This record gives sequence, structure tokens and C-alpha cells, in this order.
Amino acid sequence: MDPVYLDHAATTPLREEVVAAMAPFADRTFGNPSSLHRWGRAAYAALEEARAEIAYAIGAKPAEVFFVRGGTESDNLALLGWLESHSADGTTPTLAVSSLEHHAVLEAAESAQRSGRARVVKLHVSLDGKVSPDALRAALAEKPTLVSVMWVNNETGMILPIREIAQVVADAGGTMHTDAAQALGKVDVDVRDAPVTMLSATGHKLQGPKGVGILFVREGASLSPLIHGGGQERRLRPGTEDVAGAVGLALAIRLAVSEREREAERLSALRERLGCDLLARIPGSRINAGVALRAPHVLSLGIAGIRDGAALIMALDVEGVAVSGGSACLSGASKRSHVVAALYGESDEHATIRFSFGRSTTEQDIQHAADVTVRVVERLKSNEGAA
Amino acid sequence: MSRVLVAMSGGVDSSVAAALLVEDAVKQGHEVVGVTMKTFCYSETPGHSKTCCGLDGITDAKRVAEKLGIPHFVFDVEEDFTRDVIDDFVNEYAEGRTPNPCVRCNGNTKFRDLMARGRALGCDRIASGHYVRIEHPGDGGGSSAILRGRDARKDQAYFLWGLPAELLPRLLFPVGELTKSEVREKARGLGLVTADKPESQEICFVPTGNYRDLLHRRLGSHPALEPGLIVRRSGEVVGEHGGYAGFTVGQRKGLGGGFGDPMFVLEVRPATREVVVGGRDELFQDEVEVGEANWHTQRPDVGARLVVQLRHRSPPVGATVEQVADTVVLTLDEPRPAITPGQSAVLFAGERLVGGGRIVRADRTARSSSPTDGIRAVLR
Repeated sequence: MDPVYLDHAATTPLREEVVAAMAPFADRTFGNPSSLHRWGRAAYAALEEARAEIAYAIGAKPAEVFFVRGGTESDNLALLGWLESHSADGTTPTLAVSSLEHHAVLEAAESAQRSGRARVVKLHVSLDGKVSPDALRAALAEKPTLVSVMWVNNETGMILPIREIAQVVADAGGTMHTDAAQALGKVDVDVRDAPVTMLSATGHKLQGPKGVGILFVREGASLSPLIHGGGQERRLRPGTEDVAGAVGLALAIRLAVSEREREAERLSALRERLGCDLLARIPGSRINAGVALRAPHVLSLGIAGIRDGAALIMALDVEGVAVSGGSACLSGASKRSHVVAALYGESDEHATIRFSFGRSTTEQDIQHAADVTVRVVERLKSNEGAA
Repeated sequence: MSRVLVAMSGGVDSSVAAALLVEDAVKQGHEVVGVTMKTFCYSETPGHSKTCCGLDGITDAKRVAEKLGIPHFVFDVEEDFTRDVIDDFVNEYAEGRTPNPCVRCNGNTKFRDLMARGRALGCDRIASGHYVRIEHPGDGGGSSAILRGRDARKDQAYFLWGLPAELLPRLLFPVGELTKSEVREKARGLGLVTADKPESQEICFVPTGNYRDLLHRRLGSHPALEPGLIVRRSGEVVGEHGGYAGFTVGQRKGLGGGFGDPMFVLEVRPATREVVVGGRDELFQDEVEVGEANWHTQRPDVGARLVVQLRHRSPPVGATVEQVADTVVLTLDEPRPAITPGQSAVLFAGERLVGGGRIVRADRTARSSSPTDGIRAVLR
């Protein structure tokens, strides 16, 4: 059997329709949107059409959608840009982030803490996906406060109650940001009924191009740019726009959102099937965050009795099943997942495999992955037992 | 399907070793998996901006593996490597000896630990780019043995005595039959990015070449780094030094001038922080005591005649085994200069690696009544 790709939460292939939509912007419509001649106008029109399309997909106004260079940049701009614009009169704003956030949020927060730009508060998330209301209210007591909680956790697929959290934040006069990189196109994301002030998303998680993303900023919110240059993106993100990327991103988002309900149902069924199969066949296994609501495309399996989680992922790759152990670093440094540690404690001794599914994933892939995983886990357990 | 794990440092030798295994894959019926060990983090070395995720060796190994169409992984062995190799390196200097970190790494990290991790990937054999050959017995029985590499100038058997004997049947050394220039030619022919990469000269975890910085960082304040006296064997004080960890037997540098005759380090005495110096003829010794012995073939008997190599680059010398107990005592056929505690004494029978150990002590016996004969023989 051909190798099976079950790492769609890491990245996805471009959809054919997206490739086709982007192609003209590589040559024919190559103009700079800021130019006033016909080449410029054509590019500008395409860029603004893309913006409108994305705005429509998430229930925003076009002027609330800013193109940025990917999810990490979007998170950084949201956090650091907001802090910058709210610390002018000598106050130190509060920045409350959940313990499950992506490194783009956690490291940006640490950087702000180190340089004295923010007082950072970590919000604990319970196994069933709840953020303690008391902790949240405490963080909101010292204003101004920015709360950043991801919509869907990338390692476990846990869905966080963003609408409820955002409502608490809004009622207390705080500002709410959510990293929706794993949520858009997977769960119902709409800023009309979720009172968030900012929302980050990226193209390559939903079969769009890499290196392009958006930051939604609700009308009236104040944000400072992190880099300086021309007037693009209304000065919030200067630099000549990636028109091809914006066009590809818009189409990818539109397709993912319009197909969401049907695809979510299909992927949830695959996820449940794989989860049940592995739980039954691997002693000492658990579904990470299994009691929480989870996005349809992620299954995180914890396995007791295996010390070397990295070896597990490598062995699966050698046998033709591509998965991750959490977020991947090129060096393969087998650092423990901060997400699993936050949910299960620092002393938890389960190795983690994250299976994540996409449009190309079939029942056959799932069956194959289950068989290979069971075989590899048995081998590792007998090796570690012998060592 | 048999699976071979090839240790790829990102240098040309292990790149070609991997390439040769891939060429043989169909005929031998094996799969090849490339691995690079992340042994330590450069970013902790002052003045090095490289991060672990961008180590040159890892990047090059990944590029070569992709070109060869084999999987490649990074094994994070930093913790084990620090304990087994770097800590040992530092302790040896602290105790006045001169360590061979590559020997420690091969005996522990590079082969033993790698094999254990390789098994998790379903690998039953392990290959490296060392310039040595290996002899595996046929059905007739006997045991596997490492032989010196075909290219005498590149031979690396000296560094492999510490490998556990039970690993030998699982080893492959694909470049052992080649010369360095053949290896480079092969790499160029295949268009590997590592083809013209310069030889690594330094100890991998001392990229600056200055191991004293590392000792300062890891030891903090320690007698090995404090000033002490330079003395003759007679006890006569002839100078001062800035810390005995900076000295190795046979060294001339750093002793100061004004001795008339050239002076060499004869001995480092950690207990008194003294560095003992003397003239060239005092460097020669013919009795060597070796500890932590490890045998690849059968343990030699007392009276056995073997050949011993006392430094990587030094010419081998005939030796007789005098004692095999907790330590092994050898007498050399002729005295040798600068036999250094901490370095390896590696025993061969012809081309075949028999075993080795760490040098504990060396002496000049009364037996070599006219040592100058031997000295002439060596210096000739």
C-alpha cells in the first residue's frame, strides 16, 4: 500500500481549484495593487474580491479582514499589536492566554512579559475543555485586558467554548482574540455570533497556500503595526500584497466553509472508527481530551508504556503512515508536548500520536493506519521492555 | 525485509556509506533508514548563532537522504551524550588525563544507543562511514571482527575498540574498502551536497577548538583550572602554569621558555596541581597499564604477542601481554614517547582489532637498559 498521509493538521496539499485560481496571478495579472495603471487595478480588484469573499465566509465586513503572512504572524500581530496600542499612557495591560495555545501565542506572550509590555496570565483549561470563569474574571479585573484562547487546539482537536468565553470577556469590557487556524472550515466559525475582537486563520491548514493568512479585527478596535513601510493593509501590515496567495486563500476558505458540514460528518465517522479500533487493540491507550468536544479532523492517542514518543512517530513513517507527535521541530527534539502536560500534568507518561484527516482521507487509509499502529506499538513495547 | 540504520553525520563519508547501502539495497534485500544524532546544542556555545534546528550536519544529511530516496530522522541523544561523553571528557581533564571523546561516543552513543533506538524502527543492522572493514564469519562459525580500513591514512579502527562485542555481527562499514579520494569521487558522481565538504577536525562539541572554555563553563572553579607549579622529576621548580587541565603528556606549548633544551610535559599530577617536565629522552616509556579493557575477539592470554597503537596517528608497536586482570599490562618491544593517561591503547593482531582500553599509567622498565637504542629506532 502507498504511504498514507494522516497529518492534515500540520499542513494540507493545495486544492486543484485553488491552484487554478492562483495561476493567472503568477503571470498575466502580476500587477502591484498599489499601482494606478490597468495592471495595478486588475490586481487590486482581485485582492479586494478575495477580502470580501473571506469576510463573507466568516461573517465579517471586508474592511475587518487583513491579509498577513500566515498564522504565526497573525497571532503575533493580534497580541503584540494590541499591547502596543494599549500601553501608551504608562499602563501595563494584562494578557491572558490559555495553557493550550500554539507557540505563536505563547512565545509572543512570553516576549511581551519579558520586555514589560504585558502582565501575562495563564488560563488553565480542564480536560473537558472549560476555562475557569474565576480565573478569567480575575484576569479581566485589571484592565486593559486581552484574552487569547484558541478555537480548536491543534494537538488534540479539543474545541474550546469561544462564544461563551468571548461573551464573558465582552461583558467585562475586555478584548478577545482567538486563533482559529484549526477551526475555520472544521467547526462553525462566524464572528457575528462569537463576540471576538480578533481572529487569526491561515491558508495551508485548509488546502490553501502556505505563507498567507488573515487577521480579523473588528471595526473600532485599535491595533498598531509591528512592521513599518507602505500603506498596504491600511498600514497594519505594510508590504506589497501577495495577490495570488490572497486569491488562493479566499477560494480555499470558501470551499472549506461551504463543504464543512458534510465533510465534518464524514471525518468524524473516520475519527471515531480509528479511535475505537485503537482503544480496543492497544492496551493502556486513551484518546487525549476524549471527554471534550473535538474537531472532526484530529485524533490524539495517548499510549502508556512507551517512553520514546519520537521513535513511535519515526517507526510509523518507516512503515508508511505519516503522523505527528504534536507540533514538529526539524531537529526532532523529543520535547514533551506542553498541551498534554497542561491537560494531564507534567508527570504524565503517555506517548502521543496525532492522526489528522483531510479531504483525501479514506476508510482504507484508516484501516491501514490502525493495523500499522498496533504492530509498531507492540514492537516498541517489546523493545523497551527488553532494554 | 531487513532494515539497515545508517548513521549520517552530514559529512561525505557517511553520505557515501548511505549511498552504497542504497545501491546494494535490491541485491541485499534490505531497506535503508538514515539517522543523524543531535548530540548537543550549538546555541549554548558562546559566539555560535546556530540553533539546534539548523545544525549544518543535520541539514546536509537530510538533503543527502532525500537525494538517495531514503527516510531520515534526527535522534535527540543530547542527554545521553552529555552524560556519557561530555561529562567524561570534562572529568578526565579534571583528573589530569587526556580523553578520547570519539572513542567514548562510539562505544556508547553512536553504536550502542543508536542500535537500541534503531530496533524501534525495525532496523536489525547499523552502518556508519568509518574507514574500517568488518569480517563476518560464514556458516563455519567464529565471530565478527573489525579490520583496519583499506586506506591506511584514513583508518579509524583506533576509535572503535569500545564497541560492545555483541554489536559486531550487526555492523556494516560500507566505505572501509575505499580510499578517501574514491569516496569523494563517488559523492561527486552522485551529486551529493557533501562531496567537497571539508574534513571535520575539531571535537564536535568544541566547535571553537578551545576546550578550556568548555572546562571553565562546566567545572566552574576547580583545581584543574588554578595556577600550579611546573617541576622537574627531581622536584626542582622551573616555572608556573595557569591550570593543569591545559596540559597533555608530550606537549611543548605553554611551558614558557628559557630551558636551554626543549622541554616536554612528562606527567600531570592533579593531587599537587604540578605539571612535570623533562627533556625529550625522558618521554620514552615501554610499560603500559590499561584499564576498562574491552575485547572484540577472545581475551588474550598472558604472554600473547600483539601490536598496540597508543595514539590515533602514532605508528603501532609490538607488545607482549604481561598481565590480564582488572587492568592489562603490556611491555612494548621498544620505548615509545608521550604515552598519555586517558588516551586509548588499542590492540591488533595484524589487521584485526582485538580490543583496547584506557591508558592508566606508563613507565620505563629497568629491562630497557639502553633506552636510547629504542629512541633511535623511533626517531630514525
